[in-house]
Amino acid sequence: MRDFVLCLMAHVHDCWHCGAKDAASLFCRYCNTIQAPTPDYYEFFDLPRRLALDPEDLKNRYYTLSRLLHPDRYTRRSEQERRFSLEASSILNDAYRVLRDPIQRAEYVLREEGFPVGDQRNKDVPPELLEEVFELNMALDELRSGDLEVLPQLELFRRNFLDMLARIDEGLEELFRRHDAAEGDERRKILAEIRSTLNRRRYISNLVQEVDRQLAARNA
Amino acid sequence: MAYSDKVLDHYNNPRNVGSLDKNDPNVGTGLVGAPECGDVMKLQIKVNPETGIIEDAKFKTFGCGSAIASSSLATELIKGKTIDEAMQLKNTVIVNELSLPPVKIHCSVLAEDAIKAAIEDYKRKAAVHSTAAQSA
Repeated sequence: MRDFVLCLMAHVHDCWHCGAKDAASLFCRYCNTIQAPTPDYYEFFDLPRRLALDPEDLKNRYYTLSRLLHPDRYTRRSEQERRFSLEASSILNDAYRVLRDPIQRAEYVLREEGFPVGDQRNKDVPPELLEEVFELNMALDELRSGDLEVLPQLELFRRNFLDMLARIDEGLEELFRRHDAAEGDERRKILAEIRSTLNRRRYISNLVQEVDRQLAARNA
Repeated sequence: MAYSDKVLDHYNNPRNVGSLDKNDPNVGTGLVGAPECGDVMKLQIKVNPETGIIEDAKFKTFGCGSAIASSSLATELIKGKTIDEAMQLKNTVIVNELSLPPVKIHCSVLAEDAIKAAIEDYKRKAAVHSTAAQSA
């Protein structure tokens, strides 16, 4: 069970406890002592920087690591080891939450690669979508002023937007695969494409939430 | 964050809210949006084809107070100007006039983009119109 932890390649360093050279990642290969955890989510799971991840594999790694790093195992160890176990468990949970979600995973990689996510100056919304968003807002306005005749129209908008999200997600899967196969400049080009796709996705998912909120307020 | 008095004034009494007939060959429509804040802004101009002067301007904006105030002011600023003059209008004029804080500068940029989009739409239509007239 511990095998993959022992053969961690990324983030190798000298063991703080026994001093063995280049022997340690999350644990020391020789004395098994817990180490200062890496803050990098991919290194933490000993995964290559790929956007397409196997969820089962990630889950297995998560369960194994959460057992090995759990603070309960370290109650009788030194203060240093107790601290590392707490820190590592907390990073582990953050890392798992982010990496298991494809959108958060992509946003994490974009941030790490220096692409700002959620830039307000970014305006790449296709014109035909703007038209639809404008019409949607008109309909929401009418709903707020008590016109229930727009309800079927809103339901239609909602379904349209959900369809768009599904198509975007399919597109993202393809972009993830292309990203993982690419290198250097080509990889950065694909990352830029992923960023603008994510911006569009966020825009549309905000719209769906807005429709849901207004419909819920109506029914409340 | 507190809005400036000028923003509040435009927000509470927006000028030129409404729409023009987008099928009118003399009307240009600009529709722009900011994905992050969800703002969407429609700005329309009615141009006198003889003089190139913007005779009327209308807007409808869904968004924050600053976005509404920026587009309201934009319609005021371009009315009576020629399309070439309006094309030169910079968002900084709106920023200064409304005392917009740095986090709201993108609202004024959106208004500038809306003006440019409306003018470009008008020019496109005018070009199509004149080719149609020539070939007729």
